[in-house]
Amino acid sequence: MTFRDTLSLALRNLGEAKLRTSLTTLGVSIGIASLAGMVSLGVGLQDQFVSRFTKSGLFDTITVTPGQDMPGGLATLARGGRRGFGTRRRAGPAAVSPDATPLRSDLNDNTIKELTAIDGVKEVYPNVRAPVEAKFGSDSEGMLAAGVPMSARDEGAFQSITFGRFFSDDGAAECLLSLEMAKRIDEANPQGLLGKDLVLVHAAPGSPSTQPPAGGPAAAMASRVDVPYRIVGILERETGPFGGTAAVSGLMIPLGRAKAIVAATRALTQALVPERANDRAYNTVIVKVKHPQFTQDVEDQIKKRGFSAFSLNDALQGAKRGFIILDIVLTLIGSIALTVSSLGIMNTMVMSILERTREIGIMKAIGGSDGDIRRIFLIEASAIGFFGGVTGVVLGWIVGRIINFGANVYIRNQGGTAGNLFSLPIWLIGGAIGFSVAISLIAGSYPAARAARLDPIRALRHD
Amino acid sequence: MPTLLDTENLKKHYQMGSSTVRALDGVSLTIDQGEFVALLGTSGSGKSTLLNLIAGLDRPTEGSLRIFGRDLAQMSSAELSLHRRQNVGIIFQSFNLVPTMTARENITLAMMFAGVARAERDASAGSLLESVGLGGRQDHRPRELSGGEQQRVAIARALSNKPHLLLADEPTGNLDSHTSRDIMAILKDLNQREGKTIVMVTHDATLAGAYANRTITLLDGVVVNQQSSSAV
Repeated sequence: MTFRDTLSLALRNLGEAKLRTSLTTLGVSIGIASLAGMVSLGVGLQDQFVSRFTKSGLFDTITVTPGQDMPGGLATLARGGRRGFGTRRRAGPAAVSPDATPLRSDLNDNTIKELTAIDGVKEVYPNVRAPVEAKFGSDSEGMLAAGVPMSARDEGAFQSITFGRFFSDDGAAECLLSLEMAKRIDEANPQGLLGKDLVLVHAAPGSPSTQPPAGGPAAAMASRVDVPYRIVGILERETGPFGGTAAVSGLMIPLGRAKAIVAATRALTQALVPERANDRAYNTVIVKVKHPQFTQDVEDQIKKRGFSAFSLNDALQGAKRGFIILDIVLTLIGSIALTVSSLGIMNTMVMSILERTREIGIMKAIGGSDGDIRRIFLIEASAIGFFGGVTGVVLGWIVGRIINFGANVYIRNQGGTAGNLFSLPIWLIGGAIGFSVAISLIAGSYPAARAARLDPIRALRHD
Repeated sequence: MPTLLDTENLKKHYQMGSSTVRALDGVSLTIDQGEFVALLGTSGSGKSTLLNLIAGLDRPTEGSLRIFGRDLAQMSSAELSLHRRQNVGIIFQSFNLVPTMTARENITLAMMFAGVARAERDASAGSLLESVGLGGRQDHRPRELSGGEQQRVAIARALSNKPHLLLADEPTGNLDSHTSRDIMAILKDLNQREGKTIVMVTHDATLAGAYANRTITLLDGVVVNQQSSSAV
């Protein structure tokens, strides 16, 4: 008997018992829908999480801080990096153990060159926050302007600037605003700020940086300048949990400008408080690696040099473990429904064999082999599995859409960013259908074997 | 005529609770190609058991049953199903058509098991139904056919894989006398014109005498009488 004949016979048999077939198929599809829905939810949540992370540009980013003792938990967290046995030992006073690398705090342009030379490093730049006073019309406010490197143009949050564009040049007198900041300036029409000037009052870069002005605070105040910065872009705030590279700050200016302002400001500060002078030009340096997989290696290398380094790699590993557990739990919940429906298949097949006992006897009498009979029933079972799988995936998708819609309405009302909570990738669709067929085959194998073993004479006498 | 089938000390015993039922208790007989043999006997005489053994639906307890020289007692279940598919066509008292299938489909089902291609199946099912006088009722289901018509479909099905041997178990047992004569005429015609060997189980001695070349009478699992008739 050819496979095609077996298949057409099996489908025909299913068609003869339409109600039973469709009820069983519905049972399977509900099982598959709940399983696929649960896995889809797990995948969707993970995608959301990971994409937020990637968008924030923190995946491939290491934050380097001076290797000296810093107060508070952040230092411990930063130095310890990976949580584990060593963490506790390295934390606190014991951190300065005799065999430890000498700690360094010289975060300056030379250090940047040194770190750039490490294998796998794409770029190193200082995390610069320039103190400025922003004036728009009659309002003014003191704030820190974040220096954004030109390389951030197509990365992280800067991939999609809500209104306007990125800086044209590292030295351009241009600024970017977060949407939040823009709304603070012009609640009604933040977009209308594009092309207008924001005046930033800051230390005058240039000569003061090398020659501190004599005359104390008064002279320092006098060396401040008003510079108009053209507002070229506004972006929605998409910050990660730590203020790294591409995290959007309220006010952003080109890195070159920010560095100049900081240098000038430091020169002023040194004039006021001379003892603060040291070789530490920056508080934080950002190291970007070529690929997230290098993050850990580079982080270790930087620590070996005596700096503190922190990346979100560790946090992400923990989160990934959490997602695996979540996936398992969701899969288990989904599996319960599928187990019930596979018992449904088995029940349907057993009933069907009881009902068709005589027919099986006839098929054997006219030459059907045990194998033919077994295959007919196995194909019937797997066809139920296939149709159940397909309708289950569709059903799961529809229910997922509905829940997603509802959840997003809620999230938006709570002020969150709406996203896709359910993800249905191709592998999940194929996997769910394949799994459904496999489960059905397993559920159908016992009834099929029973049908194949039937004694033809008894089967023919059966009513 | 060459021998088609021979049995030697063929026994079939069943266990019924603690007692053993000797359905066949040492049957030795020979059937030649082209014969029309009637197995005659009362209920429980073992005639149907013998037919089932020849059909390969059941296995002997003891003795041998050779068809074309091959012993069915030694065959695996796969070989037995091949035997049922190729060597024999079975006609039952209760017709045993698949109720959900049309006349044509019942016939093509048998050919499906034999691996006949679809186009050929449809064509030969049509001509087989024509030959038993059911050309116009090919797409009717068994429930829409009379008893005689159903038995014609069953005969056509039995012929579908061109077997040498037709086995009929009380083929007219559920039919009225008029229809019975029609069915017997078809069988006789197949025997005489196409040379099919027919083994028919019946309890009706008149029927046996009227159509069969030879009547073998069984009683309590043994052959008690063999009689050749000159009936034509």
